[in-house]
Amino acid sequence: MKDEATKELLYKIADDQLILGHRNSEWTGFGPLLEEDIAFSSMAQDKLGQSLALYQLLHQMGEAPPDTVAFMRDSVNFHNCIFTELPNGEYDFSLVRHFLFDASEILRFEMLRESTFIPLKELAVKITGELRYHDLHARTWMRQLGSATGESILRLQQSLTFSLPHAMGIFEVSPYEEDLISGKIFAGERVLRDRWMERVEETLKTTALQLPSWGTVEPIFGGRSGKHSEHLQPLLDEMSEVFRIDPSAEW
Amino acid sequence: MKSLDPRVNRLPQNVTSNKEEAALTQFGTFEVFVQPNPKKPFQHEGAVHSPNLEMAFVMAKEAFTRRFTCSSLYVVETSKIFTSAMSEGDQNAFDLIQKTPEGEGMSNGNSYEIFILQKRGKQSVHAGQVLAASPEEAMWNARNQLNKGTQVFQVWAIRTDDIRFTTVDEGDLWQTLPEKKFRDASDYKGGEKLKEFLDKSNSL
Repeated sequence: MKDEATKELLYKIADDQLILGHRNSEWTGFGPLLEEDIAFSSMAQDKLGQSLALYQLLHQMGEAPPDTVAFMRDSVNFHNCIFTELPNGEYDFSLVRHFLFDASEILRFEMLRESTFIPLKELAVKITGELRYHDLHARTWMRQLGSATGESILRLQQSLTFSLPHAMGIFEVSPYEEDLISGKIFAGERVLRDRWMERVEETLKTTALQLPSWGTVEPIFGGRSGKHSEHLQPLLDEMSEVFRIDPSAEW
Repeated sequence: MKSLDPRVNRLPQNVTSNKEEAALTQFGTFEVFVQPNPKKPFQHEGAVHSPNLEMAFVMAKEAFTRRFTCSSLYVVETSKIFTSAMSEGDQNAFDLIQKTPEGEGMSNGNSYEIFILQKRGKQSVHAGQVLAASPEEAMWNARNQLNKGTQVFQVWAIRTDDIRFTTVDEGDLWQTLPEKKFRDASDYKGGEKLKEFLDKSNSL
């Protein structure tokens, strides 16, 4: 039971990192300025690296090898939250998603640095610096554009309002939630969500952006149990297109 | 002397007029200094565009330190770098620095970071710190304190307080960088696979 709980936890984190990493990588060559294009692409690469590390942990627990897991599953078998699979849209949405998601990411791994599951704890310690940069990058942009011009504030506000129900979907609880908490593997989605709300409030209060009262935000769940939007399967088809031509090929 | 090195030309003598033009078209520039490891001095790596100092730091991190190793990074607005004249021939740029009217001061002014260009086409490297009441005085004090007699082509003075440094907490930003060898061409060795392929197609 404990193994199943840990696997479910690893899968959802890994799938979040893979899918959002892939989405963010779609900005490569199209970023709003050259420096940002490079930064956003590098962070996308970090996320893919983090997903690989997590898939390797799963492989050590008896799951299929990372490439198979990443490229051969259909959307119903992915555990990422729907937020990560939504198309990029305009840069304002991608930036708001980066800010909201990566705030949860840094807090989640901060919690995992206390995990009794040692390989996960070690990974969480190892990537502290990467996550620190993602968080710094996201908050710096939000502070800048969230108080720059009428247009930048309006665009971010619209994307924020659209994103919040999806962002709350990050914290969909696992069927194994109580096992994870009692086993001290992970302190749970509710604790994470509360810390995340505080962190989001803290950054946004330095901007002109408005948060609705949290009680009015209806979370969009489903991703964690494989109920995805129509956007995930096309993403997977494209991402695994080359791999599926010859899954046994050596690269 | 007009240098063809873009890094040399990027620091204009007449900053004000340039800045007005820049404001209409794009963000201003910030210069980026990188320390590859704790035993090495900081050196100039290039410039990033940014609306302010903090964003310049964020942009510089991936624009200039996404490969190899890095232990620390700092940025400063281009217009805040005070530059000496470029030297000609075998002149030492230190020797071209004029004494400031207020005289030689070890005044309890500000601290300045001094960078020197030791070879044309290479990066300016950190040479030390001086105390001074003005950038001009910083130059003069650098001439007296940091001139080792070997030729340098240009001297820069940057007020320490104008710099956005890497904080102590941020020391871990490059923690996993040495593992990202996939970002460098040397990580892709196709030679043997190519040989194997050619042998196979030749024997057909």
